Formats: sequence, C-alpha cells, structure tokens
Amino acid sequence: MSLATTKRGGAEIAPPDPWDPLVRITHWVIAGAVLWNGLISKPGGTVHVWIGWIALVVLALRILWGFVGPREARFASFLPDPRRAVAHVLSLLRGRVREHPSHNPAGAIMVYALWLSLALVIATGLQMTEWKNPVTITEEKAAVAAGDWSVLVNNATEGDAHSEDMSLSRLIKEVHELAANLMLVLAVVHVAGVAVESMALKRNLVRPMIRGRS
Amino acid sequence: MGWPVTLPAKGRSFPIALASFIVLQAVAALFFVADVTADLWTTALGAHSVLEALVTSVLLIGIVLSVAQLRWTLREMEMQGRALEVASGDFVRFIERQFDSWSLTDAERDVGFLALKGCDIREIAELRGRAAGTIRAQLASIYSKANVAGHPQFVSYFVEELLSRAAERSQDQTEDQPKAAAS
Ligand code: HEM
Ligand code: HEM
Repeated sequence: MSLATTKRGGAEIAPPDPWDPLVRITHWVIAGAVLWNGLISKPGGTVHVWIGWIALVVLALRILWGFVGPREARFASFLPDPRRAVAHVLSLLRGRVREHPSHNPAGAIMVYALWLSLALVIATGLQMTEWKNPVTITEEKAAVAAGDWSVLVNNATEGDAHSEDMSLSRLIKEVHELAANLMLVLAVVHVAGVAVESMALKRNLVRPMIRGRS
Repeated sequence: MGWPVTLPAKGRSFPIALASFIVLQAVAALFFVADVTADLWTTALGAHSVLEALVTSVLLIGIVLSVAQLRWTLREMEMQGRALEVASGDFVRFIERQFDSWSLTDAERDVGFLALKGCDIREIAELRGRAAGTIRAQLASIYSKANVAGHPQFVSYFVEELLSRAAERSQDQTEDQPKAAAS
C-alpha cells in the first residue's frame, strides 16, 4: 500500500531532514560571517579580522566533519562531478528532477566553489594582516589608542621593504577583494538555486537547514 | 504522507547543544593557540610554556572527544529512528491485515487510512477528489464491516493495539538495559 509506506515528501531517497546539527551550525555561522564581512564590517578592521578567524575555525570544523561525520555530510557523498552537475541543471530545465541523498550534483559544485573562495579570502586576509591573530591586533590597537606608537613603528620598518613586496601585497589585496565579491555573487546564485530546486521538488529545502521537521 | 517517524523533541536538542559547544570549543582553541604561538615568538620557553602546551592539548583532546560524542549520539538516534520505523511498519502491516480481514475495497482502504490519520470527511473528499457524500457512504461501509459504531471507536480499535505494543516494547527495553550495562 503505497499510501502508507512512502516517507514524508513522497521520496525514499532525500537529503536528511533535518541536516545534522554541525552542518546546520557551520552553515549559518559561515553565511553570517561572509555576509557580515562582505557587507557590514569595516574592511580590515578588528571586528573584520575576528569574524574572519571565526570563519576559519568553522570552515576547518566542517572539513573535519566532511571526513568523519554522518554519511550525508561526508565529501564522499557529494564529490564534485561537473558532468552530473550539468545533467542535473538540464533535467531541472526540462522540469524533471529527482532526489539525491546529499547535495544535488549542481549544488555540490556550488558548495565547493563557496568553500574554496572562502578559503582563498581567509588566506589572503591572513597574509594582509601578517598572520597576526585578532588578540594581538586588538592589543596593538589598544596600545596605539593609549598613546604607545611603538608597534606602528615596528610594523612600518617591516612593511617598508622593496617595491616588489609592495606590488605583491597589492595583488594579495586585490585577490582578497575579488574573491570576497565573487563569494557574494556565488551566494546569491546559491540561494536562487535553493529556491529553484525547492520549487521543482515541491519541498522547502531551507527548513531542514534551519531546524527540520517539527 | 504515511506515518511520520519523529524523535521526541527532548532527544533532538542535545546534539544541537553539543554541536554549538564544539564550535565554541574550536573557536576558543584557535584563539588560545594563536595567542600562545605569538607569545612563543617573542618570549623564551619556560614553565609558562609548559602550562600553555598542556592547556592546548587538553583543548584539542576535548574537541576530538566532543566530535566523537556527537558522531556517536547521531548514530544512536538514527538507529532508534530506524527501530521506530520498523515498529511503525509493523503497525501498518497490522492495519492492512485488519483491512484484509474486513474485505475492504481499495477505495475503502485509502479512505480508512486517511480517517485513521485524523482527516475529516471534507479533507478526505478533497484529497481523493470525490464528493463528500461518497466519502460519507464509504466510511459508513467501513464502520459496518469493522462492526464499530463510528469514527472514535474505529480509531480506538487501532490505538489500543498500538498502546499494547508500546507497553511490550518498553518492557523489552527495561529487560535489555542490565545486559547492555554488563557488556
Ligand atoms: C569571511 C571572510 C571575509 C570576507 C567576506 C572579507 C571581505 C573583505 C572585503 C570586501 C574587503 C574590502 C576590500 C578592499 O576594500 O580592498 C576586505 C578588506 C580587508 N580584509 Fe577581509 N574579508 C574576509 C576575511 C578576512 C580575514 C580572515 C582577514 C584577516 C585575517 C581579513 C583582512 C582584511 C584586511 C586587512 C582588509 C583591508 C584591505 C585594505 O583595504 O587594505 N579579511 N575584506
Ligand atoms: C553567504 C552566504 C552563504 C554561504 C557562503 C552558503 C554556503 C553554503 C554551503 C557551503 C553549503 C553546504 C553545506 C554543508 O554541506 O555543510 C550550503 C548549503 C545550503 N544552503 Fe547556504 N550559504 C549561504 C547562504 C544561504 C542562505 C541565505 C540560505 C537560505 C535561504 C541558504 C540555504 C542553504 C540550503 C537550503 C543548503 C542545503 C542545500 C541542499 O539541500 O543540498 N544558504 N550553503
């Protein structure tokens, strides 16, 4: 009797509902960090660096989880496969979609693109701040505010190197900005993709990412 | 549609708390380790560094243990969910056998299931695209074949069975526990 044996949503294979808590928390922390740093915080400010470091930890945790987490959260469940991603988009255009046990192939490519650009933004950001941790930066700013300018002098002599270094650091700054903006554009496409996929599957995909079925 | 298998809300908030705790732990660990590393750059090794190395390793071990705990809890919950699914599958089979023994027609079976799920006549009519009168007639036929007076008695027929199964299960579990503790 099909009425009684199909699961909710009418599909036996479907992404987890809800997603496991670590995936949900890391997702929203990363989304929040990216939006805050990309749109709100003062570029290069102390808050910007604190948030960037938090994003770094959370990304590292998610990557760890991608190896040891539950099946649907593992990278092995959504390996990047451009051919299947294209096939998925084509079938979406033709209005024929099917469920996948983890991220769909197109979504998976997007997920990796977002993670990679985040890693790039973080790496270039760290390079710009000479890998100083936010605690040190906060302390230095406090020292400067209190009238102790020696830290600035120190930095100036270090940074006063050759013009080659200068152009490299300008390049790094460009990459940081470019990758950050790329990530914001990708995020918009990502959210649009979630909306389209939700409509095609006639199922709200966002809810499992927030709290799942109640 | 079907019989939704959900875990009690109490059981589901624990992993969320644990995962939040892991994230906080990891953030704290990174900032601590970064600060310690920066200190090591500027000051010489000493008793202080030994202490800091100790705290660092405790933090890292804590994260690993919490991740393992979360993994274990999630697996446990998945297994419980599956057991519940099996149990509810059993229950569905029990309902189907009853429907068989009452020789319900296919249409009556579907209506019977919807009635058991708590849909009223209007909802069933809408879901099946039939007139409310048709559904009312089908329900009357179901109740007479099942020899019950009406909807409440029809539902309680199955709820009683479900409750007696639940009682059996919880007995099984209390019997299992000493064994699990001993092993
Ligand atoms: C969560 C990810 C991040 C995003 C979305 C982000 C975004 C941005 C954006 C849009 C700018 C403006 C670029 C410009 O005006 O030139 C910027 C500047 C900057 N970011 Fe980030 N950032 C992130 C992480 C980080 C991290 C982790 C660090 C350092 C540890 C960092 C350090 C800086 C610095 C120093 C600047 C100032 C560049 C300058 O104008 O001199 N950022 N960031
Ligand atoms: C800058 C913002 C965002 C970034 C960087 C981002 C990034 C990501 C990443 C990396 C994943 C994969 C999750 C994992 O496996 O751990 C993901 C999944 C997901 N995101 Fe986002 N996200 C952002 C914003 C949003 C927003 C605003 C929404 C909701 C409207 C959303 C909805 C989802 C959903 C529903 C999934 C799961 C997709 C599926 O079912 O396969 N995301 N996102």
